[in-house]
Amino acid sequence: MNDDRIDELLARGARDYNQPGPVPRDEMWARIQASRQSLRAASAARTSRPILIWTSVGIAAAVILSVGITIGRRVERGVPTATAPVAANPVASPRRDSASTRSTVRPATIVATNRDSLIRQLREQTKTTDRRARELAAAPDQTGGPPATNLAYHLVVLQHLAGSEAMITAFRTSAHRGEMDADLATWSRELLSTTRMLESSAATQDPTMKRLLEDLDLVIAQIVQYTTHGTNNSEDLDLIEQSITARGVIGKLRGTVSARNPAAGT
Amino acid sequence: MLLDCTNVVTEAANAQPSAHPRLLDRQLVTRCLAQDALAERALYDAHVDRVYRLMYRMAGDADLAADFTQETFIRAFERLEQFRGDSSLATWLHTIAVSIALNGMRKVNRIQGRTEMIDNMPSLAAEAFRFTGDLKARLHAAIDALSEKLRPVFVMHDVEGYTHEEIAGSLGIPVGTSKARLFDARAKLRIALAAFAGDHVT
Repeated sequence: MNDDRIDELLARGARDYNQPGPVPRDEMWARIQASRQSLRAASAARTSRPILIWTSVGIAAAVILSVGITIGRRVERGVPTATAPVAANPVASPRRDSASTRSTVRPATIVATNRDSLIRQLREQTKTTDRRARELAAAPDQTGGPPATNLAYHLVVLQHLAGSEAMITAFRTSAHRGEMDADLATWSRELLSTTRMLESSAATQDPTMKRLLEDLDLVIAQIVQYTTHGTNNSEDLDLIEQSITARGVIGKLRGTVSARNPAAGT
Repeated sequence: MLLDCTNVVTEAANAQPSAHPRLLDRQLVTRCLAQDALAERALYDAHVDRVYRLMYRMAGDADLAADFTQETFIRAFERLEQFRGDSSLATWLHTIAVSIALNGMRKVNRIQGRTEMIDNMPSLAAEAFRFTGDLKARLHAAIDALSEKLRPVFVMHDVEGYTHEEIAGSLGIPVGTSKARLFDARAKLRIALAAFAGDHVT
C-alpha cells in the first residue's frame, strides 16, 4: 500500500472518529442553568457566613503562610542559597545548542541536591502539611463537621497552596538558571499526590477551590514529568510556562491565599 | 432596548464566522454581563454545537461530552468578565473546553487505570489490531492511543476541520507547534495503518 492510499484511508477513516449524534441543547442548557443557580446560592451562603471562621483561619495561617510565601518570593528574586548545586551528570544531560533553543529559558541540567539546599528546606517544611492534608482529605466530609476540624482542613489547604506556590516558583527559578535541583522531582510528586487527594475529597466543595486544584494538578503533573524524566526539552518547559501563565496559577494561588488569609499580607 | 437585544440575539444565533464576529462577541458579552438571559442563551446557541462536537470527538461518549460542554459554559459564564476580546469568543470558549476535556479525560483514564498516555502508540496499536481485521477500527484505536499533546491537534484539525490558528489559540500553543504536532500525529497513524496494510494487502 503506498503513501497516498494510506493518506486517503487516514482522511476517510478520521472523519468517522467518535461521530457525534444530535446535540442535546435543551437538556444541557437546563442543567447549566440549574448548576449556575446552585453556584449563586452557594456563593450567597458563603458571603453571609460569619467572617469569624475565616478571620480565625487567617490569623492561624498567617504565620506559616507568610513564611512559605516569603521564602517562595526569595527564591523568585534569586536570593543566593547557602550552597551552589553541583552538576551530577552533565554528559547525560547535555544542553541544547543555540540553534535548537526556542525560548529564552535554558534547558535544565539535573543537579544533585545539597543537604542544605533551600529547596530541600522548603520541601521539608511542606512535608508535614502534606501529610496532614492527606489525612484530612481522606477523612469523611469535614465541611459539615465540628468547627475545629473544619478550621484545620481549611488551614492545611491554604498551607498546601502556599507550599505549591513555593515549589512552582523554585522550579521556574531553577529552570531559568538552567539547573534543576534533584529534590524538585520528589517535592513536586508529593505535592501532586496531595493536590489529587484534595481534588477528590468530599471536603473540597468550593467550586473555585476545585478549579484551582485542577489547574494546580495540571501544572504540577507537567513539572513532575519534566523533573522526573529530565528530558531537558525546552518545548516542554515552554508548555509548562504556558500552562502556568494561561491558567494564571501563581496569581490565583496568591489571590486565594491573600483573600482567605488577610493577615498574611505580602 | 428590547429591540436591540432581540437583534443581537437573533444575529448571534444565526452568526456566521464571517459576519463581524468580534463585534457580535462584544455585544453578546456586554449583554450577558448585564444579566441578560436572552443574550446568555444566544451565546450558548451560537457556540454549543461546535463545542459539543469537539467534546464528543475527544471523549467518545455522549454523557462525558455533555458534561464537558456544560462545564465549559458554566465556567465561561462565570468568567465572562475576564474575556477581553483579544481572541474571538469562540477561541476563548474552546480554550476552556479543551482544558476541561483534557483534565476530564485524564481523570477518566486515571479511574480506568490507564494512567499513562501512550506515546509508543504504534506497537500498542499493532497489539490491539492483531485482534481485529477492521481498518477503520484500527485507525480509531490508533487515534485513541495518540498522546495528550498530539490527539487534540489531530482531532481538531483532521476530524473537525479547525484551522491551525484556531487550534493554536485554543491550546495556547504557537501555530508552528500545532503544525508540528499534526505532522507527528499523522506520521504515527500512518505507521499504524501501514503495519496493518502490510499484514492484509499485497
